[in-house]
Amino acid sequence: MIPIPAFLVLAAILFTIGTVGFLVRRNVLVALMSIELMLNAINLTFVAFNRAYPNEHTGQTTSFFVIAIAAAEAAVGLAIVLSFFRLRKTVRSDSADLLKN
Amino acid sequence: MEHASSFAPANNWFLLGLILGLPLYGAFFNGVFGKRFGRGAVRFVGVGTIFVSFLASIYTFMELHKLHHHAEAAAKQAHGASPAELVIPTTKLSWLAWHWMDMAKFGTTDRLPIEVKFSVDQLSGVMLLVVTGVGFLIHLYASSYMAKDPSYHRFFAYLNLFIFSMLTLVLADNLPVLFVGWEGVGACSYLLIGFWFDKTENAAAGRKAFIANRIGDVGMIAGMLIVGYYVGALDWDGINQNSERLLNAERITIIQRAAGPITISMATAACLCFFIGCTGKSAQIPLYVWLPDAMAGPTPVSALIHAATMVTSGVYLICRLNHVFAMSPFAMAVVAVTGAATALFAATIGLVQNDLKKVLAYSTVSQLGFMFLGVGVGAFGMGFFHVFTHAFFKACLFLGAGSVIHAMHARIHDDVKSQDMRFMGGLKKYMPWTFYSMAAATLAISGFPLTAGFFSKDGILFKAFTNRVLHPVAATAQTVLNRPECKDLTLTHCKQASIDYAQHWHAPEWFGPLLFVVGIIAATCTAFYMFRLLFKTFWGEFRGWSVDPAAAIAPDPFKNLEPLEEGVTEYAAGHEAHDGHEHAHTDPHDLIDGDRHDDHHDHHDEDLTVPAAPPHEAPWQMAVPVAILGAFAIFAGWLYAEPFHFEPMGHWLHGVFQTVVGHEVIQVANAAKLEWPLMGPGVLAFAVGAGLAYVWYVRDEERVPKQLVASWPRLHRAAYNKWYVDEIYEATVIGGADALADGAALMDVWIVDGILAKLSALIVSGLGALLRSFQTGVVHVYSGVLAVGTLGLFVFFVRPHPEATVMKEGDTYTLEAAAGTGYEYKWEVEGGEADKDFVTGDQATKRTVQVPLDATRKITLEVKNAFGRTAKQTFTLTNPKPAPVPSMSVQGMPGRPPPRPPAGH
Repeated sequence: MIPIPAFLVLAAILFTIGTVGFLVRRNVLVALMSIELMLNAINLTFVAFNRAYPNEHTGQTTSFFVIAIAAAEAAVGLAIVLSFFRLRKTVRSDSADLLKN
Repeated sequence: MEHASSFAPANNWFLLGLILGLPLYGAFFNGVFGKRFGRGAVRFVGVGTIFVSFLASIYTFMELHKLHHHAEAAAKQAHGASPAELVIPTTKLSWLAWHWMDMAKFGTTDRLPIEVKFSVDQLSGVMLLVVTGVGFLIHLYASSYMAKDPSYHRFFAYLNLFIFSMLTLVLADNLPVLFVGWEGVGACSYLLIGFWFDKTENAAAGRKAFIANRIGDVGMIAGMLIVGYYVGALDWDGINQNSERLLNAERITIIQRAAGPITISMATAACLCFFIGCTGKSAQIPLYVWLPDAMAGPTPVSALIHAATMVTSGVYLICRLNHVFAMSPFAMAVVAVTGAATALFAATIGLVQNDLKKVLAYSTVSQLGFMFLGVGVGAFGMGFFHVFTHAFFKACLFLGAGSVIHAMHARIHDDVKSQDMRFMGGLKKYMPWTFYSMAAATLAISGFPLTAGFFSKDGILFKAFTNRVLHPVAATAQTVLNRPECKDLTLTHCKQASIDYAQHWHAPEWFGPLLFVVGIIAATCTAFYMFRLLFKTFWGEFRGWSVDPAAAIAPDPFKNLEPLEEGVTEYAAGHEAHDGHEHAHTDPHDLIDGDRHDDHHDHHDEDLTVPAAPPHEAPWQMAVPVAILGAFAIFAGWLYAEPFHFEPMGHWLHGVFQTVVGHEVIQVANAAKLEWPLMGPGVLAFAVGAGLAYVWYVRDEERVPKQLVASWPRLHRAAYNKWYVDEIYEATVIGGADALADGAALMDVWIVDGILAKLSALIVSGLGALLRSFQTGVVHVYSGVLAVGTLGLFVFFVRPHPEATVMKEGDTYTLEAAAGTGYEYKWEVEGGEADKDFVTGDQATKRTVQVPLDATRKITLEVKNAFGRTAKQTFTLTNPKPAPVPSMSVQGMPGRPPPRPPAGH
């Protein structure tokens, strides 16, 4: 059996990649993908802990909720990106500055 | 007590409601409907309501008299024959209108009920008759005097409202209701002084009166609060019964000295506060300045409000509160000194005035001074009697003056000139009714023997000479000292009494004689200026306009004043100096002849050398009231003829003042012997004043006055300009108020608008600019901040936090560690027990340590969190000596203030 810390390390690596990607990339689509990456890193920790403490399968249940929310978030997010692209002909997040000043 | 009347019981005498209600109804009707219903209706309602009120007052007075008679007879029967000791119960008819409010008694849960209650007793009964009686005569007079005024209805609305307010003041059964009337008459006075408000001076005079009265009212309210607080009652009976409580209250320190502070009692404070109110309402130094200006109102107003009734309400108040004033000989002395000073001061100004109404105005101020002199020396009955007689002769004089002005207006339309005595003269033959009435009143006010003014004024001066006002304690001590055994002061109680007597302030021996002398001088001045007025108005030749074509007078008497009078140049100078704001001239002017304001200026061009009809006598509505008042001025004195021991009025009022007069107010030993001798200077004052006026103004045709003016022009100018008091007030009080207002305006511009408004706006906008720079609108910056914050939280939770709260109870210190997820604790007390390993659970978070006094112990807390990380912290507990303030120092407690020790330690 793969030890739990191995999952946690992987999840941490994935989460860090997602965070850094979200912070440094200006492309909104990439930012959305980074968010998905972070969410899935969290999912991985939930599932891994569920494996270690399987009594009530809390971890697996929570990860289902996270997946559902991630799907909803992606749908809304993509819709916003689409409108944004129609408005500005770009998907760079810097251009979303209509409310400034 | 059984009441003889079947009309109503004494404690529910609802006729008072009618007496009060009718004038109020008249004011309402005339004010709201008067214009629509016309002059006839206004006259009927305005005069009629007061007349019915007067009749109801007479009936009430008769009932009161009957009741008083019964009470007196009963008291005599009960006490047997010892009239000196006889205490006559005060009789009273009262009417409770409604319960007004409850005031919390300060510092207790008791309630002090304040009721809208009216009552009439001996004192207010007399006032009631004066107000409605003289008020009715003046209403009748005004119905003719004001006949041509376009605002006839407004005038009667105000006048009726004044009567209502004055009756409220007089009939009130407690201080708050009296204050309602007090303010009501002030407001009516303001409205009526400024009745012809389209002239700026008239409006200014009204304002001046209102403001001067407001200043006094501050004192009035303060006095009321002191009495309410310390006496615990505001109604007359309650105040009278409990006024000694003012002496038991704490004393107010006025000046701190090395030799012990100078203090005054609460009684003195309350009395002085009330007296400030009286100086405002009754025109005494220093607040008298409004009354001469109040002559800007129509003449009936001057007669009713500014001579006969309202201005005497201060005297009435002091008589009403005689139990309170008797507690403070010092305040009484202040009242007496102010009265005497005002009497003399105003009389000196009256000597040189040329305006008919101005002379009478200063005369009123002077006579009010006499009244205050009377009540100030404890002659409450005599002072109040002077109110009574003065109401007749001064109302008569003012109404007579109004008739004269009315006659002058036939051809002289200027306000100032029509009242100027230099244009009158010789009116005796044209206006006999007015002349005889005014002559009677002049005799009375000057103190011609056996007239009303003679009895009241000489009574006051006699009492001023012989009365002594003592502190209640000193008065009691005095009665002890007067006992035969106390010739020997070594007896204990006699010694104590002499100490008591010496401890309390009373006026020095020369005080009474000094007041007497000042009063005599003022009385001499009074006689002089009143006869000067009479001679200049009614004697000699008429100087107003050419009556007889053969009479040779100056081509234009108004432009060529020199031949006419003594103070001509001063007159002009005075006018320039005052620039019109002082001479608030008055009067019924053009309106009387039915002319309009608009063509006012045309009248200046009327050629007065063209012969015309002589001045006319007043119509009957005006002449009859003047004659009635003149008759009263002659004969009313017999109601209180003290020298002849015929004193129905004194006997009637005795019940009101009996507890004070004879106890706090005593007479010097040989007073009875001095009664006739002291009358001598009074009669002499009349003889000198009147004789001098005759010699100077009739026999010598004003040669001496002109010489005097020529010799001392500056003195004459100063007196003519009222000793420049208005200018002094202008420079000091008004200037000070203006400077204060300017300062406040600067404060507003620079501090409020500048610093407060602009600076705070600057700070807010600066902060906004700063915060705005953080809101970049770049999502990445926000998320970066978010990431850093999350990292910080992460670090915080991974580190263990060994923190604890220290509680002290005696020498026992209890430490309670802060809770945290998965925390385990390990305690180690220095030099004591120590945990072997980390423990968890409820008990693990607490540890109790004994620290002896003045000792220090250390205790270490080690914490292990869920991540297995540990941290420790050492607490140093010091138990300080219980010196000044129990406190403790707890070191090593980051971010927490040391807890307070439990209460009660």
